[in-house]
Amino acid sequence: MPNICFYFHLHQPFRLSDFSVFDIGSDQVNFFADPDFDSNKQIFDKVAQKSYYPMLTLLLELLETQPKFCFSMSITGVFLEQAECYDPEIIRLLQKLVATGRLELIAETYHHSLASLYSPTEFKKQVDLHQQFLDHLFDYTPIIFRNTELIYSNDIAHLVGNLGYKGMLTEAVPRYLGDRPKTRTYWSHTDNPIPLMLKHAELSDDIAFRFSDRNWHSYPLNVDTYLKWVEVYGEEEYINLFMDFETFGEHQWADTGIFNFFRHFVHTFAEKSWNNFVTPKDVLVPLYDQQYGNNKKNQVEVLSNSKVMAEPLIQNTNLEAHQIYSVTEPISWADVDRDITAWRDSPLQVDTLNIMYDLEDKILATKNEKIIEDWRKLQTSDHFYYMCTKWSADGDVHAYFSPHKSPYEAYRKYAIALAHLQETLL
Amino acid sequence: MSNSYSANRVFMIGWEYPPHNSGGLGVACEGLTQALSQSNTQIYFSLPYVHSGLISHMNVLSCVDPSWDVVGIDGKQIPPFQAYTGALPESKSLVDAIKKFNIDTLRALPQSELENKVHQYADSVGSQGKRLQHNYDLIHAHDWMSYPAAMKLKQETGKAYIAHIHSTEFDRIPSGYGSNYIMRTEYEGMQAADRVIAVSNYTKRILIEKYSINPHKIDVVHNGISAPTVAPDPGTHHFAHRRPVIVFMGRLTMQKGADYFIYLARKVLKEIPDALFVVAGSGDMYHELLIKNAYNGLSASVVFSGFVRDNQREKLLDRADVFVMPSLSEPFGLVALEAAQRHTPVIISKTAGVSEVMSGSIVVDFWDIDAMTRNITQILADKNHSQTIVNNQLQNLQETTWEKAAHKVRSVYDMTLRG
Repeated sequence: MPNICFYFHLHQPFRLSDFSVFDIGSDQVNFFADPDFDSNKQIFDKVAQKSYYPMLTLLLELLETQPKFCFSMSITGVFLEQAECYDPEIIRLLQKLVATGRLELIAETYHHSLASLYSPTEFKKQVDLHQQFLDHLFDYTPIIFRNTELIYSNDIAHLVGNLGYKGMLTEAVPRYLGDRPKTRTYWSHTDNPIPLMLKHAELSDDIAFRFSDRNWHSYPLNVDTYLKWVEVYGEEEYINLFMDFETFGEHQWADTGIFNFFRHFVHTFAEKSWNNFVTPKDVLVPLYDQQYGNNKKNQVEVLSNSKVMAEPLIQNTNLEAHQIYSVTEPISWADVDRDITAWRDSPLQVDTLNIMYDLEDKILATKNEKIIEDWRKLQTSDHFYYMCTKWSADGDVHAYFSPHKSPYEAYRKYAIALAHLQETLL
Repeated sequence: MSNSYSANRVFMIGWEYPPHNSGGLGVACEGLTQALSQSNTQIYFSLPYVHSGLISHMNVLSCVDPSWDVVGIDGKQIPPFQAYTGALPESKSLVDAIKKFNIDTLRALPQSELENKVHQYADSVGSQGKRLQHNYDLIHAHDWMSYPAAMKLKQETGKAYIAHIHSTEFDRIPSGYGSNYIMRTEYEGMQAADRVIAVSNYTKRILIEKYSINPHKIDVVHNGISAPTVAPDPGTHHFAHRRPVIVFMGRLTMQKGADYFIYLARKVLKEIPDALFVVAGSGDMYHELLIKNAYNGLSASVVFSGFVRDNQREKLLDRADVFVMPSLSEPFGLVALEAAQRHTPVIISKTAGVSEVMSGSIVVDFWDIDAMTRNITQILADKNHSQTIVNNQLQNLQETTWEKAAHKVRSVYDMTLRG
């Protein structure tokens, strides 16, 4: 009886090229591609074959064959830029999907950055850049927001509310949610609250992480089993299955049966008349409009003067405490910690992030588009993820994604890039 | 007249030799043997591996224990360190350690195994050296790894033996908690030697104070430096041409004081925010230094090049506006001479033997960050001052040759044979 909300995140960072101390100050330096070999293109092409093409094609097929099916995606600007450059056919496939009207695009920062934690002005700029790019490529204006890696806090919700978005996606973290169900909608703890949908970690990770785990008690996962788990929820509830797009074909290879599983699941679930697919705006926009009336323009004006409140109860609303998801320290969907320590924990990460964001004024003052864009691409959160020194089970996941031999090497190279960037400012 | 006494045939026991060297020992052996052979000395030089290079100025003996032999894919015997590149057979632990020619790696071997292998080298040198005993007059052994071999050979042949000290365990582990086995080997090796050569007065003092070696038995022979293979090309055009560059180059160990370089950078950057510090090298403190660097907010100002060799090494020294060697305990410190050779003002710690030959360089305590900062800002601010230091250093280098070192070594040979 429940509603399923699929949300896929599509992203590729611009990884650093292989330049050394001896290249500092050289005008030949290309931060993200070596002159003779572009590793980013190589990775993009590989993942395109394994994941982008088969999954985008499958999604298109499902939209054509299953009238109830709909889903949502966020696609980073740096992904779209690489797709345009390396394989424009991917853009055409995405355009086809958007044209069906049943793919909801979600807003985020163009550069998949951590700007929300450092600079409201830079954050706003990158959200604008992303929105402009979606408009340019898809003639689409998103209404709902997701922050990089679902990083969320009251402060961030405040920023996002001010930008006029009518809702946000984030993670359900027990230390903030308590024993309340993650299948309900919640409201941000800001003085002009926005509605939220929270990821169902268990059911999402059954597909995203455990699907091919031979040590898992439910391996191999079949559609009937998964359907049973889903159908324990009631019609008022939303099962938010949020995951990396690359789950399909890259994290779970085709030979695990992931594509067939997904196709079969969508059809089987839809067969029952009481089961529904939804996308975030279907759920959140009515809530938002109900709360504020339809006059968005008015609303934004009010919101821009608002501040995050310290008290748990929100005045001037009809919302009750149990509807409020108050997150005082940033959470995310990463690692077992569900916090931001994957990107900001060791001194290696803290210092490079500080230096990066301290450069904002100087960089912008150059009015040099290339320098500004390089600086923004260096903000992509993946660079800091590679420096993570938490060598637990999470460390393995980090190592899987990292192009570097170790987090120390990631830091060493990134620091050289910073030194070069600084040199260009002298 | 001295020719009638002159020992012109020597059996040298080495451990590493370029191009397969981890540091100063191999380079010093090369410079010294080349200069000795030019002054008419015939040299047998033993190594614990098969040297693949072409060496014409002396006879190189591979004293390899059969159990260490590593056979390459084509069935030929090849040097152990080459055997472990690419898809060649898996390593045995000692060979692995020798491959890196690194005292730190060797140290990581189980004590008994290390002991065992050093003594196997001694056996091999003993038997090969004995076979050749009519072809040389005395034995000259370089650093502790070769002392058991030297003692064995002396016992077998009754020939005089000179222990050459390039570095002691006390230098390598400044805390004093080095390996007992290595310190004991150094001590016994020097006690058994007829004479001891120290690479500096600084080292001589350590031998007297820490190893109780009779001062009259010790001669100081400073290392020299060979002419650079690539002409110096000082200037800012190499890289980072818009900011002053200060360089550290050496193993990242406590001995070399790399952490003091970080503290120095922190201090200098307060006065010269654009300065770029480059740390070149690898070692057991690497990760600790990276974290220390980030913790101090220096990530974009102190960068790590990793281990550099050949043209990168030259480029870095050519580019450096100042070279700093804040070693806690450095028997000599050849790299400071290389920097001077490439027209770079050098700041050396007092606890570095090289300071004895480089009166033109700045000499300070390794811990005196304030003094180093003052000197760096002065050098960077005043081109004339910088040039004066460079010129004085080049003057010093004229006196710091391997020919001079070889001459002194020959006189030690003579003295030893005269008894």
